[in-house]
Amino acid sequence: MDPTTAMYIAQGMHGIAYGMVLFLLASGLTLILGMMGILNLAHTGFFMLAAYFGYQMVQWTGSYWAALAAAPLVTAVFGILMERFLLKKVHVYGPMAELILTMGVSLVILDGVKVIWGSQSLPLSPPESLQGLVNIFGMQYPAYRLFIIFLSLLVLFIMGVLLYKTRMGMIIRAAVSDAQMVDALGINVPVVFMLVFGIGTWMAGVAGVAIAPILTVSPGLASQMGMDAFIVIIVGGFGSLGGAFLVSLICGLLSSYGIQFLPQYSAVLIFIFMAVVLAVKPEGLFGEKT
Amino acid sequence: MDKKTRWMFWIAGIIIFAIFPKLAGIYYSNIVVSMSVWALFAVSLNMLLGFTGLLSFGHAMYFGTGAYGAALALTHVNGLSFFSAMAAGCLCSVVLSLIVAPVVVRVSGTAFAMIHLAFAQCMFVLALKFRNITGGEDGIGGFSVSHIRIPGLFSLDVTDPAVFFYLSIGTVILNLLVLWFVIQTPFGQVMAGTRDNVKRIEYLGFRVSHTKAVVYVLAAGSAGVAGAVSAMHQNLVAVNDAYGMMVSVLPIMIVMVGGARSFFGPIYGAVFFGFLEEYVTAYTDKFELILGLILIIFIMYWPLGLAGIFLKLKFKWLTRKQFLKRSGGGAG
Amino acid sequence: MNILETRNLEHEFNGYSVLKKVNLEIRKGETHAIIGPNGAGKTTLFNVISGMYTPSKGKVIFKKKDITGFKAYKIQRLGMGRSFQITATFDNLTAFQNIRMAVLSRKGIRFNLFRFVDKMNDVTTETINVLQNLDLWEACHTPAGMLSYGKQRSLEIGMALATDPDLVMLDEPAAGMSADETHTAVSLIKKLTKEKTVVIIEHDMDVVFSLADRITVLNHGTILATGIPKEIKANKDVQAAYLGRLEDE
Repeated sequence: MDPTTAMYIAQGMHGIAYGMVLFLLASGLTLILGMMGILNLAHTGFFMLAAYFGYQMVQWTGSYWAALAAAPLVTAVFGILMERFLLKKVHVYGPMAELILTMGVSLVILDGVKVIWGSQSLPLSPPESLQGLVNIFGMQYPAYRLFIIFLSLLVLFIMGVLLYKTRMGMIIRAAVSDAQMVDALGINVPVVFMLVFGIGTWMAGVAGVAIAPILTVSPGLASQMGMDAFIVIIVGGFGSLGGAFLVSLICGLLSSYGIQFLPQYSAVLIFIFMAVVLAVKPEGLFGEKT
Repeated sequence: MDKKTRWMFWIAGIIIFAIFPKLAGIYYSNIVVSMSVWALFAVSLNMLLGFTGLLSFGHAMYFGTGAYGAALALTHVNGLSFFSAMAAGCLCSVVLSLIVAPVVVRVSGTAFAMIHLAFAQCMFVLALKFRNITGGEDGIGGFSVSHIRIPGLFSLDVTDPAVFFYLSIGTVILNLLVLWFVIQTPFGQVMAGTRDNVKRIEYLGFRVSHTKAVVYVLAAGSAGVAGAVSAMHQNLVAVNDAYGMMVSVLPIMIVMVGGARSFFGPIYGAVFFGFLEEYVTAYTDKFELILGLILIIFIMYWPLGLAGIFLKLKFKWLTRKQFLKRSGGGAG
Repeated sequence: MNILETRNLEHEFNGYSVLKKVNLEIRKGETHAIIGPNGAGKTTLFNVISGMYTPSKGKVIFKKKDITGFKAYKIQRLGMGRSFQITATFDNLTAFQNIRMAVLSRKGIRFNLFRFVDKMNDVTTETINVLQNLDLWEACHTPAGMLSYGKQRSLEIGMALATDPDLVMLDEPAAGMSADETHTAVSLIKKLTKEKTVVIIEHDMDVVFSLADRITVLNHGTILATGIPKEIKANKDVQAAYLGRLEDE
């Protein structure tokens, strides 16, 4: 393979890797949004928090795998606590109050990590077994990025099985479309809500620990990737997992090829893409008209 | 309040306004100016949030556009006065809102909020990238506002902090009066109706999208005025203070803490935040953390904000007065 | 003369057809009840006629004008008012402000940004009149969301009527009311709709037979029968599909 083609393919795979992590982050957001009608602005805060937890875990145990296993779970606990003690209480004041509350929580997390870990970027290195390059079809590619793609696919596969093959998933999907009906059936919806919130936050956590070795752990992590995640949700259409998947990949590719060809304006590309889609379909690509 | 006390109140207000710069000095005058800018900005957001039920996470796009509009006009056109620069800023925001309105009036709720977050971020990136126009991260500064003069009558030096105080506070109050008036008109009623029940408003023969569009442009224009005044006050516009995320977030907090259901709520909120910023930043640089905590506490425990608390206190005071009066009458 | 007609009206939700070839004719001045079991498509028919949805096929003719696919506000301005099964009032506004909104609409005051609404004396007088007719005068300063359910329903009907439409569509005006409240509602509707054409969806047969000049029975999205109450009562199909089943319950 000639070097130019190899570079294009490598850039494309970078884009896909980034897009997959983005989708991991965005799908947790979509799940919570579809289920509870709350767009959790603190979601990206949790995503970043997980990266910090991961860093801390590596400091304590020295093992990346321990961090990948534990940090998202701890993050999920924080998510559940927020749902139980904050969101539930303001539910009566309407969706705008909930949205603004999540914004408040997001601010607390974003500034809070600086109090604990400081403002500088912290390194989180991938496990040694994944540090080298892998040879695919005669092309050298970083093993860790490949691992991210597989990890994302694995998590999404588990989510798919959970949603479509289990009773719990059936209830969740039913609750997404009609919370009252499930209530009428006598299923404990608050518990389902809590679970979904936990799962959604856990997915953000996995995304956070997965991306940390590439982007490093810093307070800027949330705004860096968070904005992309929100754009994915907006452009893909609220509550649409398929839309989120497609747009995540488009965003990933736009950013990686954008950096290569239009380094000056790569950040603008995604916004232009968004503006074009919204001008035609304000409810997003796969969003339902309200 | 009867007519006489109301007049006394107004006259007292005007006198305080007139002597304030002399009495309190430049430092506190400047604080009051920035409070009033925030107040106008927050009230303009509340026209959407509290009175029409539309939450925007990117109202900074109009504040920032107003600020850049005024600053660019002052840099490129010689001899522009305070009012022309302000009009330029306001106009830029209005034009931007007219471009965006056809898209945003078609959505509401969370989608409306998030689309604005993205648009404001877009403006942020654009302002950062087109550095030959906006000056990038350094921004635009050092522009001069020429004197306001009517030949032979008077000439006002805007660089004098006291003069700037009168001009900016006057502008803000005038703009607030316009918005307050709009709330009291039939159109204001339709706005409130749109907030409460879109379906019913439509079935009463009102066009929801047009109503939203008019409020939207009004709110954008007022935010532009706030931005323009702020730019001239700082004599500097930088990306972070114009389109930054916090510029969108802060007015939402001011509205929530002040009280979204009241026209004057955001004004109380702005005063509260003015003091808070003044005293908190002296002790810690974790201002956002404190803001987040305050916001959470207010939403959870005082969802009607300071305006709600004041109303409750006033009610308590009135009933107590009535009670005293009645028992006093009984004794006599 | 027909004030409202639907011609072969059809409507689908995700491929599931809810209305099939509905030909409804409403004569000017009559009170026309639409009855039918749950899920017959009654509310969908209302929604398609009043502009919430665009029908998949067919036409809606109102006052000899083809209004198929018109937006709700436009249809309202042509003189069609409606109430909803689930109360749709402005919860944070007072009963007075709710009715005033309808009065403003009737007077065509939509984008007036130059006068205090409180100082429009003609609007205020008219609003007071409507409130008195609705027996809501005592509650005029109560936010609609805090009114009793019966009063909310009166307000709901009142809002549909205060715009003074030629045709009023009432979607289950007595839904969820006690016997007493239903009685009040029926006399209220009778009193306020004397000169108007009324289309009403109702489950309560007493209400239907005491109000309606003609009745249309809808079942599975098709019209089973149309006629005066006596004919409907005697109709075998209707009895089989609907009335008989009611008696079973």
